[in-house]
Amino acid sequence: MTGTTSHNERAGAKEPMSKRTAHRRRTAGVALALAGALVLSACSGGGGGGEPEGEDSAGPEQSAAITFGDEAASTGPAEEVPGATPGGTVNVLQETAPDHLDPAQVYVSHESNITRLLHRGLTAVRLDNEGNYSVLGDLATDAGQVSDEGRTWTYTLKEDIYFNDGSPITSADIRHSVERLFADFITQGPSYLQRWLANEPETYRELLPDGPYGGEHLPDSVLETPDERTVIFHFEQPQNDLPYALSMPGYAVVSAEGDTQEAYDQEPMTSGPYQIEEFRPGRSMTLTRNEYWEAASDPARNAYPDRYEITFGHTREDTTARLMADNGENQTTVTFNNGLDAGQGPAVVEDPQYQDRLVDGYQPYVWSLAINQQTVTDRRIREAIALAVPLNGVRAAYGGALGGEYAGSLISPLLPGREDDYDPFGKVANPQGDIAGARALLEEADAVGYELNYVHHTAPEDQQAAIAVENALEEAGFDVNRSEVPPETYYDTIGVVDSGFDIYRSSWGADWLSGSTVVPPQYDGRQIADGASNYAHLDDEHVNSEIDRILLIEDPDQAATEWFELSKYVVEDAVASVPVIYYRQTMLHGSLIGGAVFNDDVGTIDMQRLYVIQDGS
Amino acid sequence: MTTTQPAAPGPEVTGRPATEPAAEPFLSVRDLRVRFGTEDGVVKAVDGLSFDVARGRTLGIVGESGSGKSVANQAILGLHNPKATDITGQILLEGEDLVTARERRMEQLRGNKIAIIFQDPLTSLSPYHTVGQQIAEPFRKHRGAGRREARERAVEMLAKVGIPHPARRVDDYPHQFSGGMRQRVMIAMALVCDPDLLIADEPTTALDVTVQAQILDLLLELQQEFGSAIIMITHDLGVVSRVSDDILVMYAGRAVERGTVHDVLSRPQHPYTWGLLGSMPRLGGDVGKELVSIPGAPPSLLDPPSGCPFAPRCTFRDEVPDNLSCADDRPALPDGRGAACHLTGERRTVLFTERIRPRLL
Amino acid sequence: MLRFLLRRSLGALAILLLISAVTFFLFYAIPRNPALLACGKGVCTQEQLAVVEHNLGIDKPIPQQYWEYMVGIFAGREFPAGSCPAPCLGFSFRDNRPVLDTILDRLPTTLSLAAGGVVVFLVLGLGFGMVAAWRRGTLTDRTVSSTSLVLSSAQIYFLGPLALALLVYNNQILSQPGYFPITEGPGAWFAGLLLPWLVLSTIFTAQYTRLSRAALIEQLQEDHVRTARAKGMGRRTVFFRYAWRGSLIPIVTVLGIDMGSLIGGAMITEQTFALPGLGRLAVDSVTQSNLPMLMGVMLFAALMIVVFNIIVDACYALIDPRVRLA
Repeated sequence: MTGTTSHNERAGAKEPMSKRTAHRRRTAGVALALAGALVLSACSGGGGGGEPEGEDSAGPEQSAAITFGDEAASTGPAEEVPGATPGGTVNVLQETAPDHLDPAQVYVSHESNITRLLHRGLTAVRLDNEGNYSVLGDLATDAGQVSDEGRTWTYTLKEDIYFNDGSPITSADIRHSVERLFADFITQGPSYLQRWLANEPETYRELLPDGPYGGEHLPDSVLETPDERTVIFHFEQPQNDLPYALSMPGYAVVSAEGDTQEAYDQEPMTSGPYQIEEFRPGRSMTLTRNEYWEAASDPARNAYPDRYEITFGHTREDTTARLMADNGENQTTVTFNNGLDAGQGPAVVEDPQYQDRLVDGYQPYVWSLAINQQTVTDRRIREAIALAVPLNGVRAAYGGALGGEYAGSLISPLLPGREDDYDPFGKVANPQGDIAGARALLEEADAVGYELNYVHHTAPEDQQAAIAVENALEEAGFDVNRSEVPPETYYDTIGVVDSGFDIYRSSWGADWLSGSTVVPPQYDGRQIADGASNYAHLDDEHVNSEIDRILLIEDPDQAATEWFELSKYVVEDAVASVPVIYYRQTMLHGSLIGGAVFNDDVGTIDMQRLYVIQDGS
Repeated sequence: MTTTQPAAPGPEVTGRPATEPAAEPFLSVRDLRVRFGTEDGVVKAVDGLSFDVARGRTLGIVGESGSGKSVANQAILGLHNPKATDITGQILLEGEDLVTARERRMEQLRGNKIAIIFQDPLTSLSPYHTVGQQIAEPFRKHRGAGRREARERAVEMLAKVGIPHPARRVDDYPHQFSGGMRQRVMIAMALVCDPDLLIADEPTTALDVTVQAQILDLLLELQQEFGSAIIMITHDLGVVSRVSDDILVMYAGRAVERGTVHDVLSRPQHPYTWGLLGSMPRLGGDVGKELVSIPGAPPSLLDPPSGCPFAPRCTFRDEVPDNLSCADDRPALPDGRGAACHLTGERRTVLFTERIRPRLL
Repeated sequence: MLRFLLRRSLGALAILLLISAVTFFLFYAIPRNPALLACGKGVCTQEQLAVVEHNLGIDKPIPQQYWEYMVGIFAGREFPAGSCPAPCLGFSFRDNRPVLDTILDRLPTTLSLAAGGVVVFLVLGLGFGMVAAWRRGTLTDRTVSSTSLVLSSAQIYFLGPLALALLVYNNQILSQPGYFPITEGPGAWFAGLLLPWLVLSTIFTAQYTRLSRAALIEQLQEDHVRTARAKGMGRRTVFFRYAWRGSLIPIVTVLGIDMGSLIGGAMITEQTFALPGLGRLAVDSVTQSNLPMLMGVMLFAALMIVVFNIIVDACYALIDPRVRLA
């Protein structure tokens, strides 16, 4: 899961980076459970273009299981979207232009959403007509053949796969793509695969210091490419989430022949249905068809439009106004990242004329307030904090109901295994916070006037939220010292173990739809270190042993339930973090756009299913 | 307006001294009133002014600042904004009434038949155009001259007013000239179309004394050459005595004394004129003698006194006969030689001879 | 004239040097480490951070960095991530391109917006100002004056969306604003910029109307204008040949400042109409903490303001012969 743009426009440029900081830390070395059939929520408000799941569902509904696709399922072409016709141009309004086009440098959502149209990887996640998600073989013939209890994964490449210069994609390209991840200049993409291969959380680059450029290669004990079509990964620990990880745009293929290293970031070769005809940084990007892409080899992309005209620099207000107007070119316009703006949004959501053109869903982030376990040692005081934090005050700062939903748990509604009505402190029911209860607890602990050091960052919504939290805590009897730091140093500030701060916000997002990317990175007590992401500094015997146990559970349904159970312990017993809101995003699209549905895997409109409604159809 | 003796329009031959050459008035101003509407009320800048000027003669109009002399003369040229100004009476130029003339007609007259020289040649010349352009412009307009002809005329005029190297300096800008030279340029510009009437509005005030004399001499020379009538507006009796044939003394928008230069300067009749003379230094006078300024300030023209406007400042108001009230009755200015004063002629002669003249000598 | 230009250019250079130094040291006094942005934030170990800092050239003392920046302007610089030929205004490590490339890419948008806007508001503003001054005190004057007073206090972020809603979204009278290079079709260029020009110039037109009217009325009271009338010049001649010329001086002064800042980037207009110009580039650079880019944009904007100052002074000399360029 790489959707990383927070719901608020102004934080748009900052939040992804901060958030990425958060969840990229210390995820290595953690064996993840096999996630064979995760249940996830398919929520989409009003599908455009006659989608089968077009019913107006505002809240989450657990509907389908996610599966790893076999060879049959992984064979192209992709299942037709009902009513879709090829051709036409889709216009895309975006705020921020991608800084990176080299797949290995792509992580944040405004970049990955575009590069999903350009690059292909070994696997891909597909949302089908019934609303089910599956991990399919993309360049590979299937989602991966596992052996050795998850330690060995074998992929066979398809035959009709090419780069946009016509050269065939072979296992040498895959090897090259993996090896260059270790080079110094690859700094922005995901690092799961590298860490798993090196079995080293921080120093994975030592496995191949210069990448493939110094003439060195990964040994067969790590990566084998015995023939042109076979790729075998060897891990020291079971890595049952590999098919998910490989579907991330950051692991898409780079041409060994065409690799220009740093310069590849500006002019990459593409393997997907489109290529970059023109890119003017910060302004616009035109995608046209890659003539060498074979629909028959691609089970994940319908690629109906002939052309994408993407323009940048559009604010949420501008985007919303254009899409509301729905005139001229705006009729064939979508946005991947610009949710409705806070001004117009509430009216748009209520107005019947827009209902057919709205797409909404959860984003993978949960706003929670971490409580430093090493400084706030009295559980009663932590619970007092949990009771006092006003969910409504925080949510208002993020745009109200459009921006998020009150959170009872630390696990996003996108993830499987949840109890939807979980609300341990009754906060979802009473989002203003339980000030009296908090004060009673403080008095019981003889800690009225307890001093709390609170750090947040300087983005306007974060400040507004912090003020709401501060006011409630002071009312409950705390003495709050608030300090603020710039966004890009925020996670470094709170990542220091002896930071001296007691409470701080963390917006965690799952990288893919499993609790394994939420609980272990944040609450494993053996991972408390400077720069690590256990911001609550929780070191709890029960949590630690449960993490080890659940990671070995092979049944994904059971694992999902167990992750949720463990997260309940973190909230209720340890009181390490206070869940506050689940981020949401609601987008409008033009009336001549078909196939627009929310895709939970990408956290926005599913760009692979879009088509232009042609005249007369 | 209340006057005990309304000024009768028309020439009054009997009032004219015998020494004066008989001449038909070229310009005749009759009961001119100029009023400006302001935020505070109506300003009666000129209030019932009458005078005549004949060809070849020079009329000096003297008075303090704000006495209405400049306003009256700009009314002759029709330079006041008609929307903000109310002008009544008559300004007859060779029998043609300029008060009722159309703007287009006035444009034909200005700079052509009537020209004016302003006080400050620095601000009164356009900084954006060469002196040649500025001199040639009215010549082209009024005489229909071509560019080259007008330029030659400008050079000729510059030479005539005594500017050295006129052919070269014609392309200079006003700021490249000294103050006196600039005023010569002004004069050249005013005379370029041989005007019949030249109004010189304090033409030498901004200049130093030696240059003043040169400019005045120049004006007189040119008058002899062109035979124009000149109205010389000034607050300086010295200037008037040097160039004028006749004098009109103005106070608070009205004429208070009139006569030939000789008459007015040697036998002034109005206490205000006495005051003016007393406040003026004289060549050959006693250096140690104190100059006496007129006490008080001119009245507000927004609400002028209904009687004699000078009465509040007048030292001799108690000597007015009992049947006249300075506060209520407005003294009239008789045609020809005379003064607008309630004092009897005899009394004024006695007062001047006994009390004023000794101080002036 | 040549001496004037030479002297002023040297002065401008000194000013730019000062601005660059102040900006540079201010920026690097901010406790934000650009390396953190460039290095995948937090993924980097301290050693790696050091490598990135070295690659960005920010591991050296600030005065030395400034010196290298200045040298780079004249000699160009080489970065591990790419080369930055002279004049190198810095290198954006965010997208690995020389800052100047991006500035030059955005410049045509801003230039088009500014140039078109200036033409519109000068023609209209001076025109309305002349009409109002010519017909001073009449109903026309009062209408123009009060309308311009109201509009001059309007704001683009209010007028812009309003105009968009009325003219583009609801009625489609004008086409969707956007920037299309003039080289790719003057028609599209014009249509795309028409509304931004109009909105941008509405406020400026109002301001220049007021300015022009006031300046003309002041000029009409000048002694030399009275002289022109006393010479028998017609009202039209007096108005245009004498009064108008002098009224240009305050207008040129303000125009110089406006032009400089418009070309430095009309941030709000560009934001409102989603035009990819220098103003947006500056805003984006701030939100993305892209210091080299921001530095480059600010220097460029400063250069524009200084250049237009020189042009204004040259214009003074053209208008008023009393101003000598020596």
